[in-house]
Amino acid sequence: MSSERVSRELAIIREGLLTADLVNEGGRQFVIYRAVPTNGVRFGLPGSTDVIVPVPPGYPASWIDLAGLPVGSPFLPRVKGGQNNQGIVFADGHQWQLASYHPHNGGGGPPWDQNRHGFHTYLDHLIAWLDRIA
Amino acid sequence: MAAPEFGELCQLVFARYPHWEWASFARFGWRETRDGMVVTLAAVEAPGSGDLNETVGHVMINEPYTLRVALAAETHPLSVGIIHSHPKDCAPRPSSIDDDMDNYYGRYFQDFAPGRPYVSLIASQVNGELELSGRIYWRGTWLLVSHFAIERTPTRTWTRNSELRCEKSRERTARLNAAFGEQAAHRLRRSSVAVIGAGGTGSAAIESLARAGVGKIVVVDPDHVDTSNLERIHGSKPEHAEQRVPKAQVARDHVLGIDPSCRVVALRGALPQKDVVDIVASCDLALGCTDQQHSRLALSDLAVRYLVPALDCGVVLEGQNGRITGQVLQIVRFLANDSCALCRDLVTPQRLSQELMSSEERDQRRIAAKSAEERGESGNPYWLETAQLNTVGYLTTIAGAMMAGYAIGWLTGRFDAPFERLQLDLTAKLLGVVDPEDTPRTQCVCRRVRGWADQASADALIAPPSHWPNVEAL
Repeated sequence: MSSERVSRELAIIREGLLTADLVNEGGRQFVIYRAVPTNGVRFGLPGSTDVIVPVPPGYPASWIDLAGLPVGSPFLPRVKGGQNNQGIVFADGHQWQLASYHPHNGGGGPPWDQNRHGFHTYLDHLIAWLDRIA
Repeated sequence: MAAPEFGELCQLVFARYPHWEWASFARFGWRETRDGMVVTLAAVEAPGSGDLNETVGHVMINEPYTLRVALAAETHPLSVGIIHSHPKDCAPRPSSIDDDMDNYYGRYFQDFAPGRPYVSLIASQVNGELELSGRIYWRGTWLLVSHFAIERTPTRTWTRNSELRCEKSRERTARLNAAFGEQAAHRLRRSSVAVIGAGGTGSAAIESLARAGVGKIVVVDPDHVDTSNLERIHGSKPEHAEQRVPKAQVARDHVLGIDPSCRVVALRGALPQKDVVDIVASCDLALGCTDQQHSRLALSDLAVRYLVPALDCGVVLEGQNGRITGQVLQIVRFLANDSCALCRDLVTPQRLSQELMSSEERDQRRIAAKSAEERGESGNPYWLETAQLNTVGYLTTIAGAMMAGYAIGWLTGRFDAPFERLQLDLTAKLLGVVDPEDTPRTQCVCRRVRGWADQASADALIAPPSHWPNVEAL
């Protein structure tokens, strides 16, 4: 993983007044986006949630894929791919469930282009993901 | 150094040749390695009118030029330095005036570019050879440059010891010497080549380089010999497969059997692991022989940021129903100013992602893909099966030998690789040779970080996965 690159992308996110942190857990790296806005209020759900995204091996050569929510999150049954469990990970003191969410691989986003995309642009996909809850 | 910047530099510093000296400031990238430092020429900061004193034969730099370069250093992350010439046939041995200049600048630039090395190089043409010396002021001490590598330009590195060195003709390369000349043989002896991948193609390239008398060969491969490799790997024997001997070790032993005086560095690892980059970045050129996309991308990154000229190879045997329909070989040139692997679409994100996954993650993805298919959905978002590429020993040997041949052409300066991306097919009439034209994308990162070395770490095209085993020196 290029920590310099991820740090640069997280700094861009912070310029937009959201926060995201890089965490290491058991030899794996994750980005945790804090308080990502959701469309949950109209369903009586929280207006924001934390989201975890694994840093793929070899990043940025590998594309960013998947997204996870805290285990037991009320959003899991409602987001795209949320009921298709792609694994449980432990990070930042919590357990997270990864959802089958693949924006850069046929999931509705543009094909991965490491010259344009990164964790800062992935945030847009996450916001859209949490906006389209059913 | 890469061709565009080095060409510009030569025009400047040899502008008053053969008798008078001239100079230019420049910007450099750098990388601290386990054994020292690799420095790369990133940009020339050419002198303008009145920046140098034109009335004297030696170099006198006027203060406004120095101050301009120093102030610019506050706006970029690169190191600064100066390159000047010595008159024709005068060795690039630093004079007492050079010592004074370097002692002054070494400290002066620390005020404007703290924590960065100061680089001082001297270039000269001696007996028809380009000869360079250099020293780097770094953390209060002077490091001497032990080796210069310039893209497709044979160069002698001047050191105090090199004046005492006697280059002898070698009987074992007499035929090559007769064809290329004694000078070329000496150039090969001074050269270092990194070969990434010691399988069929790599082992053939390594053998040709060793037999040609290349002085130092760096072999990098993460795998051990398998029985199915014996048909292709030069130097491999059944006992290597039985004992699971690393391919790099087999290559090293094979080279030393051919030429015991060749210096061989064998690493069990892969690009772009740190210890591998440390060594490969200091080589004259690199040959990519893995036919893996992540390795191709890393080699391309190395060519752009560390200015290591590279050739990368892939071979594939096509056929069906018991009939061979294609025996395709591709050699891609990666020079610092060439299109990178991304610009050329030589890599695909999905295959890269799959190559770089851990074996556990691959297994999980395969299971997820199977589950998706059982649900009637596409399994592709999880895992895309790719067909095993088949190849045979004669094809990999041809490819490896061709790569070694073009490497020898570059190292000796006797001929160039007349293509950017060569494709040929042994089963096609006249080999079906094509040389597709690749155009760099203007927005690609490779256009911005040429020669920036570690100072463009955030723009690296690829990073080593944390699940890869540590590099092992064999």
